[in-house]
Amino acid sequence: MFSQNGLSLDQAPPISVVFRFFALGALFGLLGGGLVLYYQSAIFDAASPAALTLTHTFTLGIMLSFMFAALFQMLPVIAGVKLTAPVSTANFLLYPFAAGVLLLLVAFNMPQQSWLFGAASLLLVPSLLWITLLMLGKLVRLRDHSSSSKGMLIALLALGIVVILALYMTLSLAGYLEGGYYPEVRTAHYSMGLFGWIALLIISISFQVIEMFYVTPPYPKLVSRYLPLTLFGLLFVTTVTAFWVPQLWLLSHILTALLLVGYAVLTLRRLSQRKRPIADATVWFWRLGLSMLLLAMTTLVVYRLTGTALFGNLAEIFYPAFALSIVFAMFYKIIPFLTWFHLNAQGYFTAPMMHEVIHPKTAMKHLYIHLTTVVTFLLALFFAPLLFVSALLTILSFGWMLWQIVHAWRLYRHTQKTGEKFEMNIA
Amino acid sequence: MREIGIDTRALEHPEPLVQATKILQGLTEDSYLYMLHRKKPIPLLDLAGEQGFKVLSREDAQGDWHILIAKDPDIDLEALLRV
Repeated sequence: MFSQNGLSLDQAPPISVVFRFFALGALFGLLGGGLVLYYQSAIFDAASPAALTLTHTFTLGIMLSFMFAALFQMLPVIAGVKLTAPVSTANFLLYPFAAGVLLLLVAFNMPQQSWLFGAASLLLVPSLLWITLLMLGKLVRLRDHSSSSKGMLIALLALGIVVILALYMTLSLAGYLEGGYYPEVRTAHYSMGLFGWIALLIISISFQVIEMFYVTPPYPKLVSRYLPLTLFGLLFVTTVTAFWVPQLWLLSHILTALLLVGYAVLTLRRLSQRKRPIADATVWFWRLGLSMLLLAMTTLVVYRLTGTALFGNLAEIFYPAFALSIVFAMFYKIIPFLTWFHLNAQGYFTAPMMHEVIHPKTAMKHLYIHLTTVVTFLLALFFAPLLFVSALLTILSFGWMLWQIVHAWRLYRHTQKTGEKFEMNIA
Repeated sequence: MREIGIDTRALEHPEPLVQATKILQGLTEDSYLYMLHRKKPIPLLDLAGEQGFKVLSREDAQGDWHILIAKDPDIDLEALLRV
């Protein structure tokens, strides 16, 4: 869709690569809903196996799958990075990654079977480091960088660090390492993962998509040039220095929160400067996500300053709500566009229009489901039985998403099998 | 030559691409597309190029892109460009 000078899909990967990562993320989302049903209020105890399992279902299973879908799609078109043999590259990542995540989730629940941590690491670490290095290598060699491609490069660096820190922890849990630095590594691992990887990748992609999708003024140069590096630099310096002064994470989290609040306010302002008065579901998903980011950062700071568990729990709900809202916003732009564009590029006269792939009302219904899910999770902090409803809504939300993927894929294949091709070719 | 002009500078992605591909499907030998866009629409240029159209794109001093696409391979698009 984009290059730094404009739009580009000429080097985009086959549509199936993006679809299968989105589908994998949705499947893990269904599992996440099932886990909430199973664990109930134990998920609110951050140190419990329930919370660890659910957190990694979200960060690894759901978010990483979605973010790889976005990366496979966006790297060629934002940065002009061409991945060789994208289908086999995607498969080399997808299968060990999916198996590794499942093994890790089992390992959290069977800590006496410590070998499971080793087995999960064997599947996850090489595949994730390999794809990270592969993408990083391509990005480093780029001659002409945009703020988005630079941001993606930095976010991938953060992912590499997250994986290495995770390896230290799993090897400690498996008994191969003494784990003397476990607490410091754990804080660095989740801080770099949540803010250096997830937030930074969303920020980097938004530098392109907010202006392009919604016809807004561009981000100020100061922000698009320096925010990713500042955020990563802050987290990296803290990761290193906190081995000697662990209290530094308090300051680092407050500064991170300030940076992300600034980004959220600026992006909400940009969305209010759209030329088109009507807002579709994707605009509302962005607005909801950015509002969730504001609340997540506010509650995080209060939690870090006061230690009140309720604020920690609130931040744990608001932050995934932020990330998922943005993923859904991107999903409802990417899937219809890819289906329509690939069929048009293949010359199908009968290619379905984007609103026929996913109707705007369908996306709007998902927005309501998602919003209700977030509200029920918040209320469940005060009335735990509501978690049953939250779990069912989570299953409905990801089931809804999965159905859109299946529907789009079936339309795509149906058009390929039965569609008429137009003859624009004059040769 | 008949010009089919569209100004897509205020349109949200992917509406410019949708409008342009519709016009390309109906383009005749004696007509050409003249499109104004905020960005260089590389997918459209690729698609048109692959389909055998003659294509010219140029950025003006304001940063807007002028895209000309014609079916006639002998047409002098440079002469029709208003930059």
